Amino acid sequence: MIDILNIDMPKRKLDPLPSAAFHILLSLADEDLHGYAIMRQVEEQTEGRMRLGPGTLYSSIQTLLEEKLIQEVDRRADARLGDERRRYYRLTAAGRKLARAEAERLAGLLRVARAKKILRGDHV
Amino acid sequence: MFEKGFLEKGFFEKIYALLLRLYPARFRDEYGEEALQLLRDRSRDEKGWARTLRLWMDLAGDLAFSLPRCYLRPARAEAPARLMTDGLPSFHVVGSEAPRPAALLFGAVLSVVALFAVLILLNHAGSYRILSSRSDASQPEAPATWPAGAGPAGTQTGRTRSPQRSASAAAILLDDRFRIDAQERHRVIEAAAADVDKYYVDSEIAKKTADALLEHETKGDYDAVTDGQVLADLLSQQMEHVSHDPQLIMTYQAVKEPELPPPTEADLAQMRVALKRSNCRFEKVEILPHNVGYVKLNGFPPPDECGGTARTVMARLNNVDALVFDLRDNRGGMAEMTALLAGYLFRSRTHLNDFYDRGANSTEEVWTQPAPKGNRLADKPVYVLTSHESFSAAEGFSYDLKMLKRATLVGETTSGREHMGMPHRIDGHFVIRIPGMKVTNPISGTNWEGKGVEPDVKVPAADALVTAQRMAGEKIAGK
Repeated sequence: MIDILNIDMPKRKLDPLPSAAFHILLSLADEDLHGYAIMRQVEEQTEGRMRLGPGTLYSSIQTLLEEKLIQEVDRRADARLGDERRRYYRLTAAGRKLARAEAERLAGLLRVARAKKILRGDHV
Repeated sequence: MFEKGFLEKGFFEKIYALLLRLYPARFRDEYGEEALQLLRDRSRDEKGWARTLRLWMDLAGDLAFSLPRCYLRPARAEAPARLMTDGLPSFHVVGSEAPRPAALLFGAVLSVVALFAVLILLNHAGSYRILSSRSDASQPEAPATWPAGAGPAGTQTGRTRSPQRSASAAAILLDDRFRIDAQERHRVIEAAAADVDKYYVDSEIAKKTADALLEHETKGDYDAVTDGQVLADLLSQQMEHVSHDPQLIMTYQAVKEPELPPPTEADLAQMRVALKRSNCRFEKVEILPHNVGYVKLNGFPPPDECGGTARTVMARLNNVDALVFDLRDNRGGMAEMTALLAGYLFRSRTHLNDFYDRGANSTEEVWTQPAPKGNRLADKPVYVLTSHESFSAAEGFSYDLKMLKRATLVGETTSGREHMGMPHRIDGHFVIRIPGMKVTNPISGTNWEGKGVEPDVKVPAADALVTAQRMAGEKIAGK
């Protein structure tokens, strides 16, 4: 059940949330990641449809940091990728809330589609 | 002409380092090294001509898309400029720092070189598969809207931006507090009254509520309201006061939302793929000790896509002595799927419920689908596991089987959310949510709205399976 009545979407400059920013938030849902890992995670979760280039990725990260939706946690090396130290990012509580609200908004759209009888006979 | 080393790591990186100089100093200082590192990582992991070319194409698209945005985004310290002038949106032009002429020259030269390289590569393609099948969708999707309404105005890597996207980009330029004038207010109130009157599920309450709104307006109760949010809250309160329905709600959002296009065939296809991947929401199907069949179903997906899976599941359980439907994590879905599954539990076609839609002025009877020949489940004991988290169609399935005395419900009272407010758009700012549909069980003459479905055996959801298993075991042994 999608509670589209209780969506509490903060009004800020990421409202509506751009697709790239939403995917970055989602990519951080489970663990802290560095930029390249975010890019790969987004690629995976969109089944290859979205490969964030450096400019889009880091300008989105910049905006998300400024809006306190993500935070930089530390700099450390990723053993799988060599010994360069990388900045890791973490989802904040506000970021998680916004990502959830956006997911619910998208799910709400599906409900609208259902209500319009595109998917008939539903009584979700 | 170009040797293999042409696009090797070092060269690639140097070109990109030069291209990075096109970005504002603030961005470069903060993320220049990270951007180069990302490029190094990708170059290392994406070897071969086709992938290298794809990487180039990605970078070109990224540059075209992100560069304008970096200049158009307002600097952090600045308060966002007020972007409403005489009711018309205006646009940020260029931020505090313009690209340096030398950087632009670099960019121009390098872009020509890059384009040239791509053309040469295409001519040298020979037997290489230059692009993967995904490459047409390889560019990052244009963010629908970015803070400064930015993004390349015309095309992005040759693809024209859809009208919806452009509308959306312009829409966020509106000021974040939307002041309403008398005319707008009148239009919203009239539309709200008309929609409630037309769509609200109970026609009598609908009329009373609509009349109350119009009466308030005539008395001038809204005249002082000039803020959209205040008006929405006031209308919601007054509607609830008359209808006693907390789900009849007016919502407001300051940022104007464009009208959304209906889902495309591609969207629906994507949904079907997702359904298949989740095994049509059948999380678990097994035969427990004492020959008790167990189905954990987390949704009721559309039979068009999932009917085959559902029939396979039921066929597999055809010889069990009792059946447990675990709906504790079931969030609802399609009435047709409940009818298909319930069909296995009856010898003849059985009336489950009536589905009333006030707006369409239609009542649809939902009956069980006939089970296939050879079905042996029609007289086997059935247990349905419920929780506070069982919603909607899951509640319908439980409620109907309970009313028909065809299943024993074990667990917790369900959520009780039968009819929800469907959104009706008044304009981009105001949307009214109106409960307009109702399910009625022919035996009880009512439904579970607000109350939830009471289980026959109340136990915490976590204990429901053990309890049902024990009951089924005893029932089978007692036969």
